[in-house]
Amino acid sequence: MNSEAKAKTVPVQTKKRRRSKSLDRKKARAGWMFVLPFVLVFVLVYVPIVVDSVNYSFNEIVILQGGGYDLDFVGWDNYSYALFENPDFVQTLTTGIQQLIFDIPAIVVFSLFMAILLNQNMPGRTFFRAVFFVPVILSTGIIDSIDANNAILQDFMNSNGIDTGAEAANAGSQIISAIDIEQLFMNMKVGTELVEYVVDVVNNIYGIINRSGVQMLIFLAGLQSISPAIYESCTVEGATAWETFWKITFPMISPMILVNAIYTVIDAFTSSSNTVMTFISKISSETLGDVRSSAMSWMYFLIVMLIIAVVAAILSAYVFYQRRD
Amino acid sequence: MNNIEADKNIKRKGKKVKIDVDFEGKLSFGERLKMRVASFKFFKDIVWFIFRFILLLGISYVVLLPFITKIAGSFMSADDFLDVTVKLIPKYPTLDTYYYIFTENKYLEALTNTTILSALCAVVQMFTCAVVGYGFSKFKFRGNKFLFICVVFTMIVPHQTLQTSMFMKFRYFDLYGIYQFIYKTFNLGSLYVKNVASTKIWQYPYFNLINTYWPLAILSFGGLAFKNGLYIFMMRQFYKGVPDELEEAAYVDGSGVFKTFIRIILPLSVPMMITIFLFAFSWQWTDNFYTSFFFTKDGLYLMPHIVQIPKTLGKIASTMVNGATYQAAINNTCGLMIIIPLIIMYCFCQKFLVQGIERSGIVG
Repeated sequence: MNSEAKAKTVPVQTKKRRRSKSLDRKKARAGWMFVLPFVLVFVLVYVPIVVDSVNYSFNEIVILQGGGYDLDFVGWDNYSYALFENPDFVQTLTTGIQQLIFDIPAIVVFSLFMAILLNQNMPGRTFFRAVFFVPVILSTGIIDSIDANNAILQDFMNSNGIDTGAEAANAGSQIISAIDIEQLFMNMKVGTELVEYVVDVVNNIYGIINRSGVQMLIFLAGLQSISPAIYESCTVEGATAWETFWKITFPMISPMILVNAIYTVIDAFTSSSNTVMTFISKISSETLGDVRSSAMSWMYFLIVMLIIAVVAAILSAYVFYQRRD
Repeated sequence: MNNIEADKNIKRKGKKVKIDVDFEGKLSFGERLKMRVASFKFFKDIVWFIFRFILLLGISYVVLLPFITKIAGSFMSADDFLDVTVKLIPKYPTLDTYYYIFTENKYLEALTNTTILSALCAVVQMFTCAVVGYGFSKFKFRGNKFLFICVVFTMIVPHQTLQTSMFMKFRYFDLYGIYQFIYKTFNLGSLYVKNVASTKIWQYPYFNLINTYWPLAILSFGGLAFKNGLYIFMMRQFYKGVPDELEEAAYVDGSGVFKTFIRIILPLSVPMMITIFLFAFSWQWTDNFYTSFFFTKDGLYLMPHIVQIPKTLGKIASTMVNGATYQAAINNTCGLMIIIPLIIMYCFCQKFLVQGIERSGIVG
């Protein structure tokens, strides 16, 4: 309507505008065409799946003999079963979430550290990079689940990953063991919790390395996008490497830290080695079509969404965005 | 004017002007070496170099050790597990484990089926994610932000949450009752009635897609399969880095949007698409979540199904003292055999993986 009113007054301009509008419209239509496969399957298949899943969590499922299934509305029963009746769920949930929250800083810090190392010029860099990204490709899915119940790797991966001194008994010449190191840290008076946390991280180093592959890649990409000119001016000004890291690298990489923290949560949340998820899918596969698992996983999903929101809120307050014009 | 004259002067004398910056020239070789070596910076560099090298080597060892133990274990015979002195190098090396897995666990059948499935999914996902990512990056249309939030949503919701309903959806596949509607209107067959306990039960017509390639193909086509949200995100970031002028030039030359995409944009994004192909292929290859409920052992025999103890070896293991270790080693060998094709692929394509993500600039 507006364009019509203007058409009477300034005809030349409208002609131009109309043409550009139609091009825009054409492009918009083309845009729809490009995302069409996603939209089609999303609306036709994915949305019903999500809706069904929510729906199931309020129902009881009855598989009919002739084929087909029937739903029996039970309200919040599945949820109350998960929370109050199932003996293991709440415990698994709390330990799982605790683990998740502890893992985030460890994985982010480790992958940032490794990315900085791998970004430096040195002989054998290609080899090391290749080795570090092996877990991204190979230690997923089926291999992950074989490893999870593997007797040989068990002592390598469990909490006694470092030498606990158990072998020192027969080795005899063992000078240092993890316990001694722990004792050393304890005497440093930095707080028992911190020491326990660090020891936990070191003991879990295998799992942390395994899970920080993609994060490392993202950090590497971020590090390489920082312009070398900034570092050059830093050296000219006489900044030390330590100052350069905290004043330049860290702020420039901070958006990646946010991305990686969220990715870590999502990855830990959707991975098959996640204890809560294993617990849930075990329930679902033990009795095929037990919809209590749906209720449990939706609860877990909401909690994790909350964690993501909190993490994002905390980190985005400190994120520095370089303005690019 | 002065400057120009000076320039001319220099040009004239060009060959004669020579600046000496050779500070160390007058020192003897021994003294120069001393100066370089004895400096604090040199010392620091050396220490840092060694420290870094040892650290990286150590972590590489941690990463590779599981594979090394698996490879070592795969060549061990049952006797090696009874012998306490055998740690990593088998005393009685044998290929029996490989042989029995190959024959009794139907390795070849699993290999062909998984290759077909992974290649199909990876190719479809590669093209879908490229197309959808392009749509999100270069076009402004109403609702594109909302749709992108949908993509992020599919990335965040774990598929375990949807496990039951996904199984049900593809077990009794129908699109909003469209098939049922067609079935009813054209009267393709009798619709209902199974008398179970004297109640009439409607038997809805449906497609049973379990044990076919269809469920994963459909999900891949929509960019909704495993981690596809990440791929779409990567493609979008990549296309955002492609200058708009390229397409504008093509439009001016009279090529349409789709022609431009196929002729100009797609060839540009080949390296990125290879990266996505590799990710999709290898993650689909080792996936045991979808395969666990879309495919049964009797239906479509896939790689995850070969993880079991072969009968002949199982008999030996059951009579052994530490049979559990032996069985674990056999399981590891199964895992190794699953990833052998991937390892070969990784050796050749590792470059693409690292470069691909770096080039994509998830950075924004």
